[in-house]
Amino acid sequence: MSEFKTVAKASDLADGELRAFNVNGISVAVANVEGTLYAFGNICTHRRCPLAKGELEGTEVTCPCHGSMFDVTNGAVLQGPAEEPVGSYAIRVEGEEIQVAV
Amino acid sequence: MPSTYLIVGASLAGASAAVTLRDEGFDGNLILIGEELHAPYERPPLPAPRSLRATPASKEYLRGEEPFDKALLHPPGFYEEIGVETRFGVRATQVDPSDKVVELDDNDRLQYDKLLITTGSRNRRLEISGKDLEGVCYLRTVGDCDRIRAQAATGRKAVVVGMGFIGCEVTSSLRQLGLEVTAVLPGVPLKRALGEEVGRVIEEFHRDHGIEMLLGDSVTALDGVDHVERATTKRGRLIECDFVVVGVGVEPVTDLLAHSGVELDNGILVDEYCRTNVDGIYAAGDVANHFHPVFERHIRVEHWDNAAKQGAAAAQSMLGKRTQYDAVPWFWSDQYEYNLQYFGFSAEWDELAVRGSLEQRDFVAFYLQGGRLLASAGIGRARDLRRTAALIKAKTSVPTAELVDDEVDLRKLIPLSNCSGADNR
Repeated sequence: MSEFKTVAKASDLADGELRAFNVNGISVAVANVEGTLYAFGNICTHRRCPLAKGELEGTEVTCPCHGSMFDVTNGAVLQGPAEEPVGSYAIRVEGEEIQVAV
Repeated sequence: MPSTYLIVGASLAGASAAVTLRDEGFDGNLILIGEELHAPYERPPLPAPRSLRATPASKEYLRGEEPFDKALLHPPGFYEEIGVETRFGVRATQVDPSDKVVELDDNDRLQYDKLLITTGSRNRRLEISGKDLEGVCYLRTVGDCDRIRAQAATGRKAVVVGMGFIGCEVTSSLRQLGLEVTAVLPGVPLKRALGEEVGRVIEEFHRDHGIEMLLGDSVTALDGVDHVERATTKRGRLIECDFVVVGVGVEPVTDLLAHSGVELDNGILVDEYCRTNVDGIYAAGDVANHFHPVFERHIRVEHWDNAAKQGAAAAQSMLGKRTQYDAVPWFWSDQYEYNLQYFGFSAEWDELAVRGSLEQRDFVAFYLQGGRLLASAGIGRARDLRRTAALIKAKTSVPTAELVDDEVDLRKLIPLSNCSGADNR
């Protein structure tokens, strides 16, 4: 069972915002969708572009480079070119702290 | 009698149309004809997104990073599975609309009820002395790509003629394979598409990667014994080389429509619904000069995303659905560490506005005509770029001051009535 690590303050990530954090050497993107937080792999499985630089619309994130779309709630591919899902990670808020387990 | 739909051109557009026809429930005969022996695959020179199925950009194939199977649009057996009869390795030579017949070069004649042409384009050839020497390569088919790979495996020095998207990407791929490259080109790279200012950014990053760029020059002769050994330029440069890659543009393949009565002008002229002037004949992809409702003119787009989406749109139209094809063209080009993207279409513009910095290779360039945004191009600002698609679709004038202001969210400039335009992907 992996441990939860603090990545940011809850107040740092506004609704609709998307940011990347390094958690134990893994680049993890955290999205705030209407107050619910999701953590998923930041690196697109197609050509390794950072998804946190892409567009977040609802629970869908679009890769900035080639337009692959992923479901931020589970990392699934919604539209190619990517074929493989990105990781999906446990996330919680402890007090004021956003914590992710990879 | 079930009806028969023929698709001529086993290309991305053709494959996309075939899949769409079956998805939409077409249960007649469906025949896909292709000149190459392969099932439809991602052609090397087409660097753009794929919405059908995930397949790799073939620069990776060129660099030997991915096997050919990965470039196939669909796995072996797929077409059989969805009930598409394939005829690969034959060329359609003639369309006769009065008898509704397509003639093939194996002397077969196929009857059709509806016909879709997705023959794409072919490379323009250099017409200079030495053009037929070994080691003079073009890039379109997988065979072309294999030839370049073989040359790059043993060669050390390449000359690239022309720096359109194909030339730029081949140059970058060869460099990444460790080869020396001299590029010979008339003006800045991608000038016709991107203009002088943005073209200079492309020029500079190629120079920074060690490419010798001979601007304002052209190759006038190639020579060598059997195999090319050197290129001579108009300005008198002699460039020793192991091989040459030519990327001097493409032209639509419309030969089979000569004498058919189908109107041709820079490809096959089609309306908003991908219909030609001849009843029952449609066209999509690189070969189609399509009347685009957003730009209110005919445009012919030679990129992946358009081929996939327009092929699907043509299929819908064949089934009698009245939906205009109005997607904003989009393509990307990966060169070295740079991901260049382009939205829209602008053959000419009277204003170029820039958000960010051209020097730092972190920008969005806006191409405007009469205050209206026609196209955008950029590096490193994908989020902003993607947001311009809806602005282009909105067809309204946009204030330059706000376009270039980093603080302004481009989504705020979209008129409310056009919010649906944001769906463009």
